[in-house]
Amino acid sequence: MRPILLQGHERSLTQIKFNAEGDLLFSCSKDHIINVWFSHNGERLGTYDGHNGTVWTIDVDSQSRFLVSGSADNQLRLWNVANGKCLYVWEFPTAVKRVAFNDDDESVVCITEQRMGHQGAIRVFKINRDGDGTDQPSEPEYMFNPVGSKATVCAFTYTPNLILTGHESGKVALFDIVTGSEVENNERAHMDTVTDLQLSPDRSYFLTSSKDKTARLHDTKTLRVLKTYTTETPLNSASLAPNRPYVLLGGGQEAMQVTTTSLRQGKFETRFWHKVLEEEVGRVKGHFGPINTIAVHPVGTCYASGGEDGFVRVHHFDESYFRAKPYGDLDIED
Amino acid sequence: EDAAEESNVSAELIAHRKRLVDEWNAWRARCKRDIADEKRSRGQRLDSGGGDGEKEEIE
Repeated sequence: MRPILLQGHERSLTQIKFNAEGDLLFSCSKDHIINVWFSHNGERLGTYDGHNGTVWTIDVDSQSRFLVSGSADNQLRLWNVANGKCLYVWEFPTAVKRVAFNDDDESVVCITEQRMGHQGAIRVFKINRDGDGTDQPSEPEYMFNPVGSKATVCAFTYTPNLILTGHESGKVALFDIVTGSEVENNERAHMDTVTDLQLSPDRSYFLTSSKDKTARLHDTKTLRVLKTYTTETPLNSASLAPNRPYVLLGGGQEAMQVTTTSLRQGKFETRFWHKVLEEEVGRVKGHFGPINTIAVHPVGTCYASGGEDGFVRVHHFDESYFRAKPYGDLDIED
Repeated sequence: EDAAEESNVSAELIAHRKRLVDEWNAWRARCKRDIADEKRSRGQRLDSGGGDGEKEEIE
């Protein structure tokens, strides 16, 4: 499983995302740039240039037509995937930390940071898909300020108007975007900041990673914790492997330990855990710093990791990965 | 290698794993039913949005 190294970013990666077909991989970084790559050979297809600060987050719609990005320059941008043109810019008082499309591509949810007298906010924008995409409503369709712990991650569920959030306190919650009320919560989903939240293809369950060194699988409806994967390092990202019963976890100690980092070159690992049995099944080394973001190809043929070291590594799975049955003949539903 | 591992794990552990997998599969089956029901009921209520519901089920 020789990795393809994507070199094109000058600073740490913040988020990576495959499109629905999996032929394209989008990456964003502290270097203010968004890149798009061909996932099969790692060639760069293009860049989305325009942000004036760390691009914290991206998402691409299911048709690979529109890309949204959120940045430390307090902007949410809408891009034309095919030609790299910026179609619309929304400005806020604070940085945009997370964006996500809903399942019919008609809405985008975003989290803006709590800072300098501004409350953290969750906004939902209706995306106008008619015409060339430049005619967008300037005001959000819905907006609310979740009380209590800051929201760090969010995503739409399969139920209209219901979004999932992960918080700094470790809380996971369900919000009704119309009323802005918390419909359900699990205060003790994690013991520390929730760093990533990725849903299963049918959105009925989701995986979170946390600074508390665990990743957890939750039931979307009840927020009940189904599974826990306990590691010995703070986690920044967790991703579900479609069609195989694995979850992929990435993280690592922060920059405080730079001196030891240089001695342990390339030791930052993506950890593979058995989704159902909660046992670690393997690790893939490579990055020279903590892993900030992981994404698995939508049909599970490869995965990519983005690191603090500024690299994206794409690993195409070998035939043996698909044949391997480390725990015998167990038939596991995806 | 796999065969060697298999002979080392106790019958108890194998039973435990089997139970976990059975529980998981049963829960997944319930989930899939729930989602199908929810989509169907939404599709009936929102007749104009019926096309969307069908599109979602393609994958």
